[in-house]
Amino acid sequence: MKNFNIILALVLLGLTSLSVQAVEIRDYHKDVIGKDCKACHDNGIKQFPSDESCLQCHDVDDLAKQTARSEEDKWQNPHNNLHYGKDLPCQECHSEHKTKQPLCSNCHTFKYDKHKG
Amino acid sequence: MSNVDLLGRRKFIAGLGVAAGAAMVAPAMAVSEKADGVKWDKEVEVVIIGSGFAGLAAAIEATKLGAKDVHIFEKMSYFGGNSAINGGLFAAPGTPMQKKENVDDSVERMVNDQLASGRGIADEGLLRHVASHALEALQMTLDAGSEYHPYLQQLGGHSVARTYQTTVSCGAGITQPLYKECKRIGVNTHNRSKFEGFLVGKDGKVVGVKMRTNYHFNEDQPGEVLNIRAKKGVIMATGGFGQNVDLRMAQDPTLTAEVGCTNAPGATGEGMFEMFRLGAIPVHLAHIQSGPWASPDEGGFGYVSNYSIYNFPHSMAVNRLTGKRFMNEIADRKTRADAELSCRNEKGEALPPILITSYKDSKKHPNTKKVIKYNVGWKFDTIEELAKHFDVPLKPLKAQIEEYNSYVKSGEDKQFGKNMTKAKDKYIEAPFTVVRLWPKVHYCQGGVQVNVKAEVKDSFTGKSIPGLYAAGEVCGGIHGVSRLGSCSIPECMVMGMTAARSIMKA
Repeated sequence: MKNFNIILALVLLGLTSLSVQAVEIRDYHKDVIGKDCKACHDNGIKQFPSDESCLQCHDVDDLAKQTARSEEDKWQNPHNNLHYGKDLPCQECHSEHKTKQPLCSNCHTFKYDKHKG
Repeated sequence: MSNVDLLGRRKFIAGLGVAAGAAMVAPAMAVSEKADGVKWDKEVEVVIIGSGFAGLAAAIEATKLGAKDVHIFEKMSYFGGNSAINGGLFAAPGTPMQKKENVDDSVERMVNDQLASGRGIADEGLLRHVASHALEALQMTLDAGSEYHPYLQQLGGHSVARTYQTTVSCGAGITQPLYKECKRIGVNTHNRSKFEGFLVGKDGKVVGVKMRTNYHFNEDQPGEVLNIRAKKGVIMATGGFGQNVDLRMAQDPTLTAEVGCTNAPGATGEGMFEMFRLGAIPVHLAHIQSGPWASPDEGGFGYVSNYSIYNFPHSMAVNRLTGKRFMNEIADRKTRADAELSCRNEKGEALPPILITSYKDSKKHPNTKKVIKYNVGWKFDTIEELAKHFDVPLKPLKAQIEEYNSYVKSGEDKQFGKNMTKAKDKYIEAPFTVVRLWPKVHYCQGGVQVNVKAEVKDSFTGKSIPGLYAAGEVCGGIHGVSRLGSCSIPECMVMGMTAARSIMKA
């Protein structure tokens, strides 16, 4: 019985880690998030994270500074853009488990070379 | 998010089209219900669905008139609707800038220009109501902090220059200030909130709405549905349906997914269809307008649209097969879009025409720099270079430029009867800037029937549906066959303000 419990525990552990490994996350998030799905999925694992979730670690003002463009193209700053200012939710352009195109590319040909999806 | 193909040249030649409509996850069926026995999750004073010009103007006006608990619900994750990506062009008669530029204009003149473009089926009463209050709406944007270019523009179909444009050449120059004003005065705003149907009380009165929360557009993730009671009423400001390919093809089968679209992804029309289910009268749904200033070299409205709108009055549009002009460059939108669609090669394949402008004149608009920088427009030092680049026969092109320049000199266009006022002294001369043109679905003239109080008429009773108001592109019949450019912003804002005034009086 004891052995059975150990085996069951090992199997369960295996299943859990398997399900965690089934989704890819960004390399740069591996150290800080690891396998803790709930770190981002604050509305439950099957739901998209809330729009506030990324902001636990990221600050939109800092991001806007990092992605600032020249005066002439200042409104192409994705984190402080012409159409939505600083209010565009992260998930419109970023995905953790898939890749996404920036929202701007619906209409514009300018590029975001560092955007990883 | 986007499967908009920015038109790789090869694909362009093969099929001509910007794949616009993203494959949509079928939305859960929205249905109205009797409010009897409904458990209310929330009770508010004014419910506004949609956060474009109409919804934002309604919220500000309702608050001004004393409403204390106004709520805007927006299905997308971001606010501003299609208005946030439109051209930021605002027509009004009798403005301060017209006085400065000595332009003689009036409400009647603006209405008459619109009636002509409406081709006999526009709603004169509504057009007059909007033109009469357009200045008030312009003032609301100025009060909120909108800034405009220091010059007027004369758009296609307008008999005089009466159009303001925001300094950022975009509707966001209005939606962002109005949205911030809403926040400042205490309007409650809710994003990711999808309208799912009306809750109807006794005598058919709209007493509330069903609202899905935590909604992710195009994703299969159903959030919780709340029953929200609207004590004063509901204002529908949900916009057009240009991005709903099935629905637009039901009206006009030529508007396939291959035809580009300038609209925001959320312009899919569910709010309008729910009003039809409730009993609203559908008007002019098949009149779906394509913008003749759009470019096949970028998605949506992009940078070229405003470049072309500004430059059409002093530019020459040329068919690349013949090297000749083929339209009045400032005719109304339908006339021009139809003319452009007829520009084809010997095999009948689309051959987007080009718009030729003198660089000395085009460079006044900020978008000129953008179109060249982002490779959606080109600059040429000689006519030979230009002709070679676009494979236009040189001799007829040169002759056409000479002929057109004689019209600039005489002030009379003998070819197409273009109004040459704004072309005065603007000869077509090197260096040139050039963009390619191809129409994109832009605006739905059709929608629900409303009156000058923004009330929605019931098809069975012939009376206004109590508790329900509508404003903006979701309404139909105002403009008739073809809306004139820069007449949507005043309409959205005036009708939004009107809906607020009606709801606060009711």
